[in-house]
Amino acid sequence: MVIIKRKQLTWMEKAYLPEVIRGLRITLGKMFQKPSTRQYPEDPLITTEVTRGQPRLVVNEDSTIRCVSCGLCEIACPAYAITIDGQETDRMIEREPEKFEIDFLRCILCGFCEEACPKEAIMMSDELELADTSRQGLIYGLDKLKRPVSALKKRIAYINKINDRWRTSSST
Amino acid sequence: MTKIILNGREIEADPTKPLIAACEGNGAAVPHYCYHAGLTPVGSCRICQVEVKEGERPGRVVVACRTPVSEGMVVNTESPAAHETRRECLEFLLKDHPLDCPICDKAGECTLQDVTYNEGQSEGLTKEPRDNFEKRKSLGDKIVLDQERCILCSRCVRFFDEITGKSQLAIVGLGSRSRIETFADRPLVGNYQGNITDICPVGALTLKSFRFKARVWNMTKKSSTCGECSRGCSVSVEVLRKGEVKRIRPRFNEDINKWWMCDTGRFALDGANPTNRVPALVRGYSGLEAADSDDAVAMARAAHAAVDKHVLIASPWVTVEEGEGLKALASSLNTEALFLSPAANDLKDDLLHTGDPCPNRRGLEELGFVGKSAEEAMELLAQAESATLFGERIAELIGLDNLKSLPSTVRTFVFDGSSGAGLLEAPALQAVVGIANWVERPGTWVNIDGERGKISAARTAPSGIRQPSSVIADLLHTSEVAR
Amino acid sequence: MTVLLATILKVVVIFGALISAAGISTLAERRVSAWIQHRIGPNRVGPFGVLQPLADGIKFIFKEEFVPEGANRWLFILAPALSAAAALMSVAVIPFGGLITEIDGTPILMSIADLDIGALWVVAIGGLGIYGVILGGWASNSKYSLFGGLRATAQMISYELSMILCILAVVAMSDTLNLREIVNLQDSADSRCFGFLPGWNIFYQPLAFVLFVICTFAETNRHPFDFAECESELVGGFHTEYSSMKFALFFIGEYCAMIVMSCMTVTLFLGGFSVPYWSEAPFLIGLASFLLKVTFFMFLFLWVRWSLPRFRYDQLMNLGWKVFLPLALVNILLTGLAVSL
Repeated sequence: MVIIKRKQLTWMEKAYLPEVIRGLRITLGKMFQKPSTRQYPEDPLITTEVTRGQPRLVVNEDSTIRCVSCGLCEIACPAYAITIDGQETDRMIEREPEKFEIDFLRCILCGFCEEACPKEAIMMSDELELADTSRQGLIYGLDKLKRPVSALKKRIAYINKINDRWRTSSST
Repeated sequence: MTKIILNGREIEADPTKPLIAACEGNGAAVPHYCYHAGLTPVGSCRICQVEVKEGERPGRVVVACRTPVSEGMVVNTESPAAHETRRECLEFLLKDHPLDCPICDKAGECTLQDVTYNEGQSEGLTKEPRDNFEKRKSLGDKIVLDQERCILCSRCVRFFDEITGKSQLAIVGLGSRSRIETFADRPLVGNYQGNITDICPVGALTLKSFRFKARVWNMTKKSSTCGECSRGCSVSVEVLRKGEVKRIRPRFNEDINKWWMCDTGRFALDGANPTNRVPALVRGYSGLEAADSDDAVAMARAAHAAVDKHVLIASPWVTVEEGEGLKALASSLNTEALFLSPAANDLKDDLLHTGDPCPNRRGLEELGFVGKSAEEAMELLAQAESATLFGERIAELIGLDNLKSLPSTVRTFVFDGSSGAGLLEAPALQAVVGIANWVERPGTWVNIDGERGKISAARTAPSGIRQPSSVIADLLHTSEVAR
Repeated sequence: MTVLLATILKVVVIFGALISAAGISTLAERRVSAWIQHRIGPNRVGPFGVLQPLADGIKFIFKEEFVPEGANRWLFILAPALSAAAALMSVAVIPFGGLITEIDGTPILMSIADLDIGALWVVAIGGLGIYGVILGGWASNSKYSLFGGLRATAQMISYELSMILCILAVVAMSDTLNLREIVNLQDSADSRCFGFLPGWNIFYQPLAFVLFVICTFAETNRHPFDFAECESELVGGFHTEYSSMKFALFFIGEYCAMIVMSCMTVTLFLGGFSVPYWSEAPFLIGLASFLLKVTFFMFLFLWVRWSLPRFRYDQLMNLGWKVFLPLALVNILLTGLAVSL
């Protein structure tokens, strides 16, 4: 059992008014400080390579898609947001997605797809804004998911850095 | 029977089979690529290493697929020496095997992948670059060969040598230049090519029709029976995301098809994935109109009650259970139960295909149905007042032109679950009712030798499409009981 | 005739200004609270959000009018009107400024009515406003509303006493109940405190000033004495069951009461519309001076609300009866002594 003794107030504290004035002084000071809120649409969000926005598919410089539709992100996805159908291609990499859909109504932006991807083909972009007037509009297909590699360069470098750390620690 | 000691346990082994079969049959499965129970063992992949002690001699590591069992031999499949040897063999197998599992169609059912994962041997010690071979070598119109992925187990070579009896593939080249090729680059022929993709332990041989279409772990497999001929091979129907049937593969059945099936059945995907299906069409003022299948069945019932001269023809795809119902319906209509029995086709061979396209001929005949050819059926139909054509593919088997030629005095009702049911148009047609097809309903077929084969629902029928059994029950006025 | 017209004009202008001021106060409340809390506040409707009160008003109008089952319908509807009307009426005697002009020898003064019992009027009519709260609380047929109403009653009785005693001290000094005369007395040169400070009553009656200001908080049910609402305990207190324009009327009433009380504080203790050291200040300068002072007290209302936590009910009663009343009594005793000497 703990007995908590109430702190004895001094005479000044008991008089209340000086303490009230002290409190008022603090709040008055706050009024002239810079607000910590952000005016969102005008003042866009600050994103870094650590930001885990919506997943996007990386398109190489030669405008070929990196994804080989291996289905690992599909199976890694805890929200069952991804659906992939593959098809054959003439490129060195024989397989590419015919249909790649991410249902952003389901997506929880966990980044497991990015982690599962063996080809650095799906990356968490810095795009966070998501709105539509229909459910169907939030199921993004290939056309809405493709992003050039230049747009995701920083994230790819960051993920590689993280993976390097992991690799050295596991090999020891 | 020979007594051996397997992993410290005394078991009885069949002396006519190699050691690997005894191991596998007694819960100590040994990884293997070249060994296949249906083919001669050759011992080329060397992965099935086990440690064997005989008498007083020290233990030695041997390949289980080429070692006969002998009395009192002591076998250890999990000894460190066996594992070490396996791992070394694995490294050789992986020396030129590309690391493209994300692309490879075999990923998920690849034994090389599984063993590599289990043995923990994911990286080779060699720094040499991998040898390059032809990655997309077409072997005819059905199969593609990836020579890089091939581990030269020679199962496909032996399949053609031993099962079909017509050698078509061979390992050509020497040493590290060895590769699988057809003789003089001729395309593969024959109705059993598809089997080599099943027995290929890696992703070297793939079906053109399935290549890169689906990942195997996204498919649900259901045991069923092939309906393309009266052999009734046991198959496994694989459905992608509960929708389309992507693959039909043979299922081991000692009595009927062993490990194999013909390409006719394997590529019968169009029949399994019908298009243009409708719940029902009924004749309205402006021709056939989409309707609820209950209304269409009610129409058929009314017609059955209204006229006297009935003809009932079942499709050969009707199951035994549905056949019983149709039989009862025929007797209530006071007519003979008939089934359509098309003429034998020219696909008959010595191996599996019977050439008879009626999967349940024997079952229906045992029930008392009488087979009629399309011409005989047409003669009967032309004299009838009401015609009930029941079962999937019935319209196709009678012939669409034949149906169109029926006079409109014959009140014809077609219960069909195959492609184009929604496109039927004939003056005699009163209603078309879509029913579940053979991958959407359970049932039994009896094959030519009297073996019973079960078919099962690998996916649910599209909304509004009814099970044939419930339609028959409705036609019999016993729907309440049946439901 | 012209005088009558001028009076009507004054009524329209002053009441209109008061209601607009109440609207602006709601915006000010939200902006000030935002600044204190490191936020920005409503800034979307119109430049700097100045049209926000208008948008709120439109929203209020389109909300569902709702009378709870079992409520006393007439009293339920009457209560918010009473609350707002009392607050609006009490502004009638506040002298906002000096002489505007003279028409036919009749001076037109910047107040609706120049009553001789101005201070009494404000206390009496302002006190009626509590009926709105009590009736609203009782007529709602809800326990939370009833509690809110009851608390408001107890609080009003406790603090009205001290407040009136404070006014009494000023009245005793000024020897009049006429608010304009109280202002003029504070403005006169010979009433300078220590000869150099303006002759404002705040310098003669500092204790009364402090007590009065705190009592105005209690009178208007503002933080830290907002027991009639008391969101954390009583959901919304007396206006729990109110919606739409009825709720808005309570709001207008509350803010008008705050404005009137600020005006009273300025008039009684801060020299009203007078400008220190400039007795002959023109009408507009006087009005500006008055509004400036009122604005400060309005700001004080908001500032205090967003700084201090709410009292406990027993603390409120202790403070009212055991501290304020004795202090106010001592103060009036001393004042009486000083005046009679």
